[in-house]
Amino acid sequence: MCLVCDEGGNPAKEFEGRGQQGGMNERTRRGFLSSAVAGAAVTAGCLGSGGGSGAGGDDTDTATVIQEGSSDVSFDHPSATGINDQPTLGDRGRQGVIVAFEDPSCPTCRRFNQNTLPRIRSDLVATGDAAYVLRGYPVVYPWGEPASHALEATFDRDPAAMWALKRHYFDQQGQFSMDNVLDRTATFLNGNTEVDGDAVVADVESDAYADAVQVDLDAGEAAGASGTPTFYLFRDGEYQTTVSGAQDYTVFENVLTG
Amino acid sequence: MVRLPTRSADWRLMGRTARLVVTIPAYAVVALLGALLALSVFVASLNVTLVVDTLSLPIGTTAKVETLLSLYPFVGAAYTPIQGGLLVVVALALGVNVAMLAYHFRENGLSLQQGGTSAVGAVLGALGAGCAACGSAILLGVLSLLGISTSLLWLPLDGLEFALVALVVVFLSTYWLADGMRGGEINGCPVDL
Repeated sequence: MCLVCDEGGNPAKEFEGRGQQGGMNERTRRGFLSSAVAGAAVTAGCLGSGGGSGAGGDDTDTATVIQEGSSDVSFDHPSATGINDQPTLGDRGRQGVIVAFEDPSCPTCRRFNQNTLPRIRSDLVATGDAAYVLRGYPVVYPWGEPASHALEATFDRDPAAMWALKRHYFDQQGQFSMDNVLDRTATFLNGNTEVDGDAVVADVESDAYADAVQVDLDAGEAAGASGTPTFYLFRDGEYQTTVSGAQDYTVFENVLTG
Repeated sequence: MVRLPTRSADWRLMGRTARLVVTIPAYAVVALLGALLALSVFVASLNVTLVVDTLSLPIGTTAKVETLLSLYPFVGAAYTPIQGGLLVVVALALGVNVAMLAYHFRENGLSLQQGGTSAVGAVLGALGAGCAACGSAILLGVLSLLGISTSLLWLPLDGLEFALVALVVVFLSTYWLADGMRGGEINGCPVDL
């Protein structure tokens, strides 16, 4: 089952990514695929094979519409430092941009991801009105830190698998602890994606992605994020406001398109 | 010596005094406004920037009102039903407490202890609301400052424990107010049973 498919039902690598050149810590942007695909709205919910991660999708993901070839942007706000290297749903060049700081271990982030994010994906990202940029901010429970490292390591290998892993963390949040987070991460990746979960765990254990996590932490601290989830909202390239907590979809819609 | 409401008679005294106060229309309004204000402070304290920015954003008035209202429990999605219910209960208890405080202040004069306890309840209530919404991050920060390992932390209510503590403090304040009003009359009725 594909996570993201184009209008023809074919799996597509629609996530903006960053690649590896010269080592795991060296962050460079992954080259984007053909611009002919860029801008095409893609719908998921398809059954397909090949390409992508093969990570299991569900209704949440099938509602996702993601564009390829996200634009490089430059926002004059601390939360947007290094924004072009971050996992993104939609194109950052759109009217609205949400920069989200989340912690996999944060219960409020879980509620946001389960209640509000699906509607943001379907009604703002899918419609081309906004983009959603994810930044890790592990500040709540200890297991959130290795989980954030694992998300970074997975993102470098396969962005679609990263979004699936993130969803897995929230769906099974109560099951995770410092003792089992790496084992469960490897098990999920090995069983549900084409990413080598053991290699991801090895990267986490060697702190291979510490720099990437630190970039997000620094950006969050500089922006004044005091907890998770915290969202920085931009409209037409201009910072609008900061939203804290698992707020209603209405807040995001009104600020970005109202 | 500090008295605690340990007997059922104490709780009956508290309930009767509160009921007598809020049956006076003017103080009922004070209680409602106090509760609304408390709830508004709770929710706004979590999103001060959003509340302030919303007023100046280039969006329609309806969108502004809708955005601000969605910050409240049971209107928006920020709180679970348990969290929202608890916050409303704390706000209502605080509203009644404020009405009793106002009555006591006007009729009998106010002791520093009673006023101070109400303020502590309000602060704890705000902290409870904040903690619940930010995923315990505030509490973790406080505990880490005290050298307590965060790995030992287990908060089944995700921080609403603070709101429960606030409720206890508000009830204590209400009891002490009622105790201080013993022997008097409210709206022509004796406070004592």
